[in-house]
Amino acid sequence: MRFLCHFILSTTSALAVDFVREVRPIFEKHCYECHGAEKQKNDYRLDIKSMALKHIKPGQSAESTLFRFVSGLEKDTPMPPKSKLSSAELETLKRWIDEGANWPDGVDVAKLEDKTDWWAFEPLSKPPGNSVDAFIEAKLKEKGLTPAPRADSRTLMRRLYFDLTGLPPSPSDLTDLTDEKYEALVDKLLASPRYGERWARHWLDAVHYGETHGYDKDKPRLNAWPYRDYVIRALNNDKPYARFIEEQVAGDALYPGTVDGITALGFIAAGPWDYIGHAEVPETKLDGKIARHLDRDDMVQNAIGTVCSLTIQCAQCHNHKFDPISQEDYYSLHAIFAAIDRTEVDYYPDDASMQKFAALQKHKKRLADQIAALEAPLKQKAGEAYTALSKRIDGAAEKGANPNAKPDFGWHSAISPTQDATKWVQVDLGKSVQVERIVLKPCYDDYGKIGGGFGFPVRFKIEVSDDPEFKTGVSLVWRKHDATFMQDFANPGLKPFESGTAGDDGVTGRFVRVTAVKLAPRKGDYIFALAEMEVYESKTGPNLAAGKPVTSLDSIEAPPRWRKTNLTDGIAPESRSEEDKKQLIRQRDALMLAQADEATKKQLVALRKERDSLPALPAAQKVYAGAVHYGSGAFKGTHGTPRTIQVLKRGDMKQPAQEVGPNTIQALAGLFDIPFELRGQDEAARRAALAKWITHPNNALTWRSIVNRVWQHHFGRGLVETANDFGRMGAKPSHPELLDWLAVTFRDDLGGSLKKLHKLIVMSETYRQSSDGSVRSDGSNEFLSRQTRRKLDAEAVRDSILAVSGKLDLTMGGPSFQDFVIDKPQHSPHYEYHLHDPEDPKSHRRSIYRFIVRSQQQPFMTVLDCADPSMRVDKRNESLSPLQALAMMNNGLTVTMAKHFAAHAGSVKRAFQLALAREPTAEELAALEDYAKREGLENVCRVILNLNEFSFID
Amino acid sequence: MLTRRQLLQTTGQGFGALAFASMQAAETSHRSQVIAPKAKRVVQLFMGGAASHIDLFDFKPALVKHHGEESNFGEAVEAFQNGLGPWKKPVWDFKPYGQSGKMLSEAVAPLGACADDMAFVHNMVGKTGVHSQGTLLQATGFNLPGFPGMGCWVSYALGSISDNLPTFVVLPDHRGFASNGPKNWDSAFLPSQHAGTIIYPGAEVPISDLFPHKNGRYISARSDRGGFDLLKQLNQKHAALREEDSRLESRIQSYELAAKMQLAAPEALDISKESDAMKTMYGIQEHRKVWPTEINAEEEADYMGRKCLAARRLLERGVRFVQIWSGNDNGFPRRNWDSHEDVERDHGPLAWGMAKAVSALILDLKQRGLLDETIILWTTEFGRMPSTQGGKGRDHNPYVFTNWLCGGGIKGGVTAGESDQWGYKPLDRANPTTCYDIHATMLHLLGIDHEKLTVRHNGIDRRLTDVHGHVIRDLVV
Repeated sequence: MRFLCHFILSTTSALAVDFVREVRPIFEKHCYECHGAEKQKNDYRLDIKSMALKHIKPGQSAESTLFRFVSGLEKDTPMPPKSKLSSAELETLKRWIDEGANWPDGVDVAKLEDKTDWWAFEPLSKPPGNSVDAFIEAKLKEKGLTPAPRADSRTLMRRLYFDLTGLPPSPSDLTDLTDEKYEALVDKLLASPRYGERWARHWLDAVHYGETHGYDKDKPRLNAWPYRDYVIRALNNDKPYARFIEEQVAGDALYPGTVDGITALGFIAAGPWDYIGHAEVPETKLDGKIARHLDRDDMVQNAIGTVCSLTIQCAQCHNHKFDPISQEDYYSLHAIFAAIDRTEVDYYPDDASMQKFAALQKHKKRLADQIAALEAPLKQKAGEAYTALSKRIDGAAEKGANPNAKPDFGWHSAISPTQDATKWVQVDLGKSVQVERIVLKPCYDDYGKIGGGFGFPVRFKIEVSDDPEFKTGVSLVWRKHDATFMQDFANPGLKPFESGTAGDDGVTGRFVRVTAVKLAPRKGDYIFALAEMEVYESKTGPNLAAGKPVTSLDSIEAPPRWRKTNLTDGIAPESRSEEDKKQLIRQRDALMLAQADEATKKQLVALRKERDSLPALPAAQKVYAGAVHYGSGAFKGTHGTPRTIQVLKRGDMKQPAQEVGPNTIQALAGLFDIPFELRGQDEAARRAALAKWITHPNNALTWRSIVNRVWQHHFGRGLVETANDFGRMGAKPSHPELLDWLAVTFRDDLGGSLKKLHKLIVMSETYRQSSDGSVRSDGSNEFLSRQTRRKLDAEAVRDSILAVSGKLDLTMGGPSFQDFVIDKPQHSPHYEYHLHDPEDPKSHRRSIYRFIVRSQQQPFMTVLDCADPSMRVDKRNESLSPLQALAMMNNGLTVTMAKHFAAHAGSVKRAFQLALAREPTAEELAALEDYAKREGLENVCRVILNLNEFSFID
Repeated sequence: MLTRRQLLQTTGQGFGALAFASMQAAETSHRSQVIAPKAKRVVQLFMGGAASHIDLFDFKPALVKHHGEESNFGEAVEAFQNGLGPWKKPVWDFKPYGQSGKMLSEAVAPLGACADDMAFVHNMVGKTGVHSQGTLLQATGFNLPGFPGMGCWVSYALGSISDNLPTFVVLPDHRGFASNGPKNWDSAFLPSQHAGTIIYPGAEVPISDLFPHKNGRYISARSDRGGFDLLKQLNQKHAALREEDSRLESRIQSYELAAKMQLAAPEALDISKESDAMKTMYGIQEHRKVWPTEINAEEEADYMGRKCLAARRLLERGVRFVQIWSGNDNGFPRRNWDSHEDVERDHGPLAWGMAKAVSALILDLKQRGLLDETIILWTTEFGRMPSTQGGKGRDHNPYVFTNWLCGGGIKGGVTAGESDQWGYKPLDRANPTTCYDIHATMLHLLGIDHEKLTVRHNGIDRRLTDVHGHVIRDLVV
């Protein structure tokens, strides 16, 4: 129809509006600033015909969005926003559209760039060539450069040790490296467990692994480390790269019943998490939605940004400006992670236990489903009597007469007309003790039909002090009163409340005080009451509060039922006994079974027997991972049902548009010919589909990305300098053929073996060149006419300091060591690094096992440009500053280790050899010996650790 | 010796980074510095926990009139915590000050003396009412971690004025960090020397690692000096064989500068030579040892005064950017501006102490002729609601809050941007002010085009102002 219209109108009007002469100037004047070559607001541009026509309906100006906007017909969206078209301009535009919007071809002022026309989106094929050196030499020749000679043995040895293991060679390793010996050394280092520890750090940088949440409060993740151990293990075992990635994205679905399939999921949860935005703000609120959006964005970035080297996050507010990623693609990737949160997941120590557990769980679930299916109609049949019994079993029964209710068991505050009055009660333990645990037992009273938990405060805190007035030296043990913790404490019923103090940071004091700041409601008034307070010095010790004197702000003193002494008299109501409960359950079961016919009854009994014969599940270990969260309260999680994902206009949570399902980057799926195959309905199927898409042999980005990262860590710069961005804003490869050759060789010939890839690279002559740059003309060394001299990163510096001092503890795996003291763990932990004693042997392990705090990063490591765990780091910054010099000279680590270094070395000469793997020259030795004579060997060692040569690798 | 440009090309540390090596840093400039600068230095005052605009700077007669009446916002309000109560008038009375007649709360009365130098923006809007995100947004321009603080950008662009003090100094609340801690001043993707350096004035070790750790009992002043000399000698031999690698020479120089900083920093922080009158002006009670256990105004003034006086001394000696924090995170008892429970209890002492010290800083800079080239920004993560939340406190209000600026090319005695009659949202909701505008304006005064100060990171040319920000012309002289 459109074409017909167009044809009729443009041929019947002799004075048709001329686009170039009349219309385009209007666009130029009013529109191109925001909808032209520079900017394309709302993804709309008026300088390219195919794009402009999106909002023009030829022949129908009144139906054309463009005309409606500029003519003011759409009051909410006046265009242009700050000026107006004149009536003559409007008239011209109207006529032009009504005449069929005749826009001749070939007059566009701009050309639509094909976003897919870019090296990274070309499918992979193997260029001719048979070695790294061949490609490098060809390029050098082309540039008129010649390669540098081989570096000497000592240089090569230091280079290999640091590159492959992150540790210095010991002087006894020094030997003349023949070709055979060189290869043997490469094999030895790749086989060393130190290799996995070194290269895991590079991967953890890229996935921004940290062990606290970040954001506000920055709480620790005490079970993040199994993921770190997974990465080290995977690298040491040389796990094929495709499987390495698949496990991290969807190991639970693709490799069920394996330890690695679960612990690898730490990848999804590696980045920061907004605790307050999740735990204190529900999803129904805008802020809660924003927090969850940011959370998914982080997961998407980790998967696509890290593994495929794409700046996927740029498609959050609009289609990617430079790369073929639509906004819909971006949100369809959100949908992949829409059901999961960051949470702790169970796993077992080995695959056999994992499988046993999985089979058992499956078996249990099958039986439970069968039993439930048989029982459902019976329950219905049993009707109200059944419901009533259920209620009693669930605890509602406690509101009835309680067999345990005795008259003399509580302390009761004065009654308050308002809820936010403050009331306290305290026990005098008689002497100052270490408080490990405090137990508060609730009261029982049928007044107001309250029953268990009568008078138990809604918000309160527990403090310990030696001051009966609680004015000085107050330690907060537990708190639920502060308004920043907005979850009211639910009535606990008769369940005792237990407060632990925070681990090692036990508190001491003679008085224990409970202060309620939001009282428990009765009928129209408010009180604070407790049956019993118990205080324990240890896990198993006696109750220190028993019989001890009680004081309180006020008390109703109505003995025997209510009085202060009741608080420490050892009598408290107890919830219904287990036996009572079992009795009720038996009663209810009998009622249900009575409804069944003989056959059903028999079937049920048999199924139950089978169920009860199954062994209990063993105690699990936990890993902090990306998984379905089964919570209650404000942070519920999804329980497995994916959240609805909508495209957000301008990335704004207040402007949700169309809903999208799980999918991936459509343009690339087409270019690489990789289908996105969703197999199954559960949420894990979504991640499995993405994992398989990413690791598909045709996914050129994935394979190019990893070989480039490995190359970068061997040469100081990648073949593509922007390892996290292969898009149009990133760099072009310096050696595109080599990059593709490496990618295909790695994928096909080496079977995705990273160790073989390392060997391929470090065996090359290119790698073995000298780094001496004095006579080379390639200033930036882009073409590798020599090796690059490199500054050691923070981990290598720290590990080397420990190693040469004879203090490095090579224990592998397990919970991280903490080189800080945690202050105020109950609320917002403060990570106090300056309180750590550098002599603490626990902290002498390799840096990969350091507990990584997000908010307060370790100052020494940070000043040495350690990766910021809040960002995905492809390449460390390399800075030099006076603050770095101060840290190297004065930090507790170097100052302390210089002492041990001196003791370990015993002589100036030996210290020099240990640190630098060479003999000092006569001149060097003389200068050092002279200083040693004056100031001692410890001072010499401090100087050696600060030498440029210690921190730089030729 | 290397030229400045060679060094830049080889170290890749950004222009500002050269400062320590070149000794002529004041001349250094980034390509983004295209405007004649009006200011050289910045003081950023950050009130952690969200300070109430309504009780301090943004006078709302309507709240006085309707105090205690059921609040009606004219729309559904999504509060951070639930349960907004009646309208609540400002806790303190307001009075006009200066020629401009600016109404200020009694709680910040000492700032009245500076009213004609201050410019207010009452229509600031944030993105969320979550402390961490709000704080990051105002400090770094992004509401998620991983972006450099404003001071880092300024350090990166302009470098140091001094060769023996850090470029960007952070003076945290002595009780602890505010939300996100150092994430608010980390260098993120900028080289690490642009991160804020934490200084605790008056502490035994005011800058970490300034002096050898206590385990280094084997180190004496003499061995330390000798060590620096020997290090230089050996490093120079090593570098002589690797002449083309300028990093080696830079590292040698960094040790010389470190040694200078060891002398300069303690001197800069030593307030003992300041006159008693000066200390009194800042609210410092130098020899007082005993303070009440409850939070109180005089003690707050003493704390804040020490930080402000240190700031002035650092600015005088060439520090480029000083960030001063008031209020720690949500510890107990409350020592920040997050007055959910009781505005009077927390805001009273914090505000008076802040006002006392900050007004002294402004007047002191002025009398030294430094105010003209020093921009002062007072900010917080968001504001507080015009209603109660049931009791004596106010909930978060990310929908409107106040910033004020002063000095360094800022027009005094003006208000650019008003809030509505309740102080709930901007008066003109279509044209609010954001942190991007404030940052763009401050960079402008420093001579920097905020759209040109970019660093490419993970494929995006990152800016302090993201893709937003306009210079607020009404604020600029």
